[in-house]
Amino acid sequence: MNRDEIFKETQEIFRDIFDDDELEIEETTSSETVEDWDSLNHINLVVAIEKEFEIKFSLDELASLKNVGAMVDLMVQKMDF
Amino acid sequence: MQEYRISELEVGHSESFASVITAEMMEQFLAISGDVNPLHLNEPYAKAQGLKGRVVYGMLTASFYSTLVGVHLPGKFSLLHSIEIQFSKPVFVGDALIINGKVSEVDERFRHIVVKAGIKNQNGESISRAKIKIGLLHE
Repeated sequence: MNRDEIFKETQEIFRDIFDDDELEIEETTSSETVEDWDSLNHINLVVAIEKEFEIKFSLDELASLKNVGAMVDLMVQKMDF
Repeated sequence: MQEYRISELEVGHSESFASVITAEMMEQFLAISGDVNPLHLNEPYAKAQGLKGRVVYGMLTASFYSTLVGVHLPGKFSLLHSIEIQFSKPVFVGDALIINGKVSEVDERFRHIVVKAGIKNQNGESISRAKIKIGLLHE
């Protein structure tokens, strides 16, 4: 799975979690640009991504992420190993 | 009241308790909710709809999920995040319910657990099922 495919799949997870079929995520999308991205949805999002891609994030890794682009970069990195 | 901490909870851990629905509970729920739908209040009307009696408020039975979380699993240190409920059969005054919950996920990073819960009546029939997401407070 390449980065574009991971990004598209991640978009589907965002749409599911935020219950919005038209939500378009971008590299710069963050909790500041998605209205419903609160602490509970953050947990739902991370857990859904981990299940879908069979990866695991540490709290330190999550804390360092600034936006969706950085998250997808980290996912790519984890799936390479 | 149980006082489970996140470190004490494992997938598969289950708790249950019982409760009998009374007419007084129906009156109290009516007073709180203001739900005057005749299906819950008017016995002849409910029977005319093909039911054996007035139907207990679904959300009254769902309130036992609050008790499950706040008192039994995990108890004192819980913070209810979300509940998804499916109601599968009507409940009637006098029914004896067993409320059960089983831990299906534990995430120590987020101090977060998922409990799959269900309620059965005295005939062993499932009247509702629920997926409950719960945070654990720092004790």
